Amino acid sequence: MIADDARVSDETLIGRIAAGDPSAFDRLVRRHQAAVYRFARAAAPVDGDAVEILRETFLAARRAASRHRDETSARPWLLSLARQTIDRRHPGSRETDLTSLRELARAAGWQSGEDGAVDESGPAVEAAFAALPPEDREILTLCDREYLTVDEAARVTGLPDAAVRTRLHRARLRLLARLKEGAGAG
Amino acid sequence: MQDEQIVAGLHCGEVLADLSEHLDGRLSLDRAERIDEHLAGCAECRRLLDEVTAAVRVVRQLPEEPLPPEVEELLIESLHD
Repeated sequence: MIADDARVSDETLIGRIAAGDPSAFDRLVRRHQAAVYRFARAAAPVDGDAVEILRETFLAARRAASRHRDETSARPWLLSLARQTIDRRHPGSRETDLTSLRELARAAGWQSGEDGAVDESGPAVEAAFAALPPEDREILTLCDREYLTVDEAARVTGLPDAAVRTRLHRARLRLLARLKEGAGAG
Repeated sequence: MQDEQIVAGLHCGEVLADLSEHLDGRLSLDRAERIDEHLAGCAECRRLLDEVTAAVRVVRQLPEEPLPPEVEELLIESLHD
């Protein structure tokens, strides 16, 4: 196994990959593979597709290394390549969310006059997250797990900033509703 | 079911629309202060903000599971084919 050296920036590694250095490619893969895999599992509409998305993403990164332009971290770039891979493998799979914000908030208990318990245990959170639509899992992964900025998440998803903000808000409300359902069922 | 209301000059629906932005600190200072005034006088919106905050906190605390070793092995091999 090649040890990663965090002092070598992503930018430097990508430059070396563009120059044909295979060890730089291995380092970049090892540095970001878990995050790309998490994103693929969250955003892919089909279970069991994540490994192939992961592979195609890094192959695309190697091909595109010479065109990559300066960014502090390669992660948003790699996640945008993963998003493009998902779109290629599942064209037209993105759902349009027609549920009103009020409906989502009411499903989460807003204006109910009741305090609802939120199940914060790890398994309950994992189950609630897994039960969300892929669009919600995707935006929560980008903004609340990978801590991308709205601008970065917009570049990954190809959505305008305003749409990213709206989708994030909706996803959080749906997650809350799921967590409360889990607490009610427990 | 409660009735939505106007508190501090803001309707509950307006506060609902801005809740995540408020949580993330992306609102202007003026807007954030107005939302806070509404929240101080509206138990339903305040509760929703607290609960959404909790939901965000727990999803952020989900463990960052490593790549399964068999996937890592398969990946490195296939990338060098």
